[in-house]
Amino acid sequence: MSGRLTSSNKVAVVGYAHSVVQRHNPRPLGALTVDIVRAAIADAGLVPAQVDGIVAATLFPSAGSHTIEDGVHTVTTTWLAERLGASPRYVAGFQGVGQVSGSVALAVNAIVSGAADHVVLYRSLHNPRGSYHASATDAFGGPAQWTAPTGYFGPLAMIALPYNEYLQRYGATREAMAAVLVEARKNGARIPWSYWYGKPLTAEQYLAAPTLTDPICRYDCDIPVDGVAAFVLTSADRAVDGPNRPVYVSGYAHAVPKTNNRLPLHWPLDDIMTAGLDTARRLWESSGVKPGEVDLPQLYDGFSPFVWFWLESLGLCPVGEAHRFVQDGRIDSDRPDGLPVLSGGGALGNGRMHGIPQMLECYLQLAGRAGDRQRATATLAVACQSSPHYGGAVVYSVDPF
Amino acid sequence: MIPAGTAGAAGVPVPAGAGTGTPAAGSPRPVPVPDEQSAPFWAATARHMLTAARCARCRSLTIPPDQVCPHCDATDPEFVFEPVSGRGRIRSWTVVRQSFLPGFNAELPYLLVDVELDEQQELRMIGRLLDGPDSPVRLGTPVRVAFEDVADGVSIPAFVLADGQEDA
Repeated sequence: MSGRLTSSNKVAVVGYAHSVVQRHNPRPLGALTVDIVRAAIADAGLVPAQVDGIVAATLFPSAGSHTIEDGVHTVTTTWLAERLGASPRYVAGFQGVGQVSGSVALAVNAIVSGAADHVVLYRSLHNPRGSYHASATDAFGGPAQWTAPTGYFGPLAMIALPYNEYLQRYGATREAMAAVLVEARKNGARIPWSYWYGKPLTAEQYLAAPTLTDPICRYDCDIPVDGVAAFVLTSADRAVDGPNRPVYVSGYAHAVPKTNNRLPLHWPLDDIMTAGLDTARRLWESSGVKPGEVDLPQLYDGFSPFVWFWLESLGLCPVGEAHRFVQDGRIDSDRPDGLPVLSGGGALGNGRMHGIPQMLECYLQLAGRAGDRQRATATLAVACQSSPHYGGAVVYSVDPF
Repeated sequence: MIPAGTAGAAGVPVPAGAGTGTPAAGSPRPVPVPDEQSAPFWAATARHMLTAARCARCRSLTIPPDQVCPHCDATDPEFVFEPVSGRGRIRSWTVVRQSFLPGFNAELPYLLVDVELDEQQELRMIGRLLDGPDSPVRLGTPVRVAFEDVADGVSIPAFVLADGQEDA
């Protein structure tokens, strides 16, 4: 069964808070999370005791040898529920890769079902000391036994293979990706809380960077950071009583790949696009929105090739054409005719905040709270996260159509 | 235990390839830790033989095997590792210039290839291409399996360019 969600436009985002994004925040992640979540609750005109739902995803996405301690490297919803001063009835974690879009779905479903009235949604990211992905392990069991002993290890190689597969299949080049990086960093440089605030990147700087795992260079990867963001969601009925213009959740979809038992690091291009096109079809059905109606598609860019894959998955350009589509200012958010796919800076322009920059830009623009960056027209937005074949996307609207 | 490659199976034993056979100086190359399901695969690679797991229900090949057959969804696939030709074609590749595993520092830069094996559509395997990082590879370039002897009794499958089959 498919079709428009019965929850479409029945839930709205009504407040937010965001920490500064930096390589290492001196404050412990748990305490910072409590502060930011409380700030988001206050921004929504509420007090913690009115919050009865807490949702998040707590993936700590490192291939490295790190111990994962709750409240230090990640913050689970149960950890937060004990310390927030809220009145939780619904406390849930999203187990999957589309961490933020998946959490939005949990919040929407909880509110529409009556499981909770006011839900806080947050994402807490931690950058451990030392190399993020390096591992001193010299014997691998489980899925890694099939990849690590041959030197196939870590996410750079994971994304490099489908990226090169795309370049070879469509005759694209690494030079074509410069437009994506320049746009992400241009916008990130304007965002005061971004790690890259005041630090745009030129195409020449991008192309001068040596490749680490061909064709990936360091600028193609979001930089690991400490950072926390939180949002408050409530029912459309209650949302209109708050201090901010509500932003409605019109629909969402998440990828359900059928990859024939691929290894976790093995992401062939056809797997990505087959599942991505299916995800997008369900996204449009879930919301009753068509791709051409979206004026703020915020694409995921934890690795730069995702921007191309999402452009094509969402139907914003034909398959195989994204590397051309991004050229000549067509994704320049400063141009009246540019499609603002990275106007919020994305992960490449903010730091590794997973799907937060996309959701935040959708919220800020549609709520009319983007300040100097406010766009003249922003009515229907999409926030994507992760790869199109493992992640998800959410459609937001200024009107509860 | 799942039996190792069965007699009379399709394919022929693979000749030893062009593996360097020389463990890197310094940190050792990482080795696999076989489990009950994978043990026959690693036992075969130690003899320089590449195998794939065949489902007893639908006869499809899989690398690696899972609890449920990814092709027919059988929960009792009774996978048996059978020798495969080790021949295939490159679907993608990357040159690794910075390793996250110290055991590969001495190998940098090295080429990884994503290979579709000849036996079955989308039966894909990733391994090092031992011809070197500047090898002339493109989509569809034919390769054959080779093995790197990285520790006593431990051999890791890799690939080398297959000669004379450019347009096969």
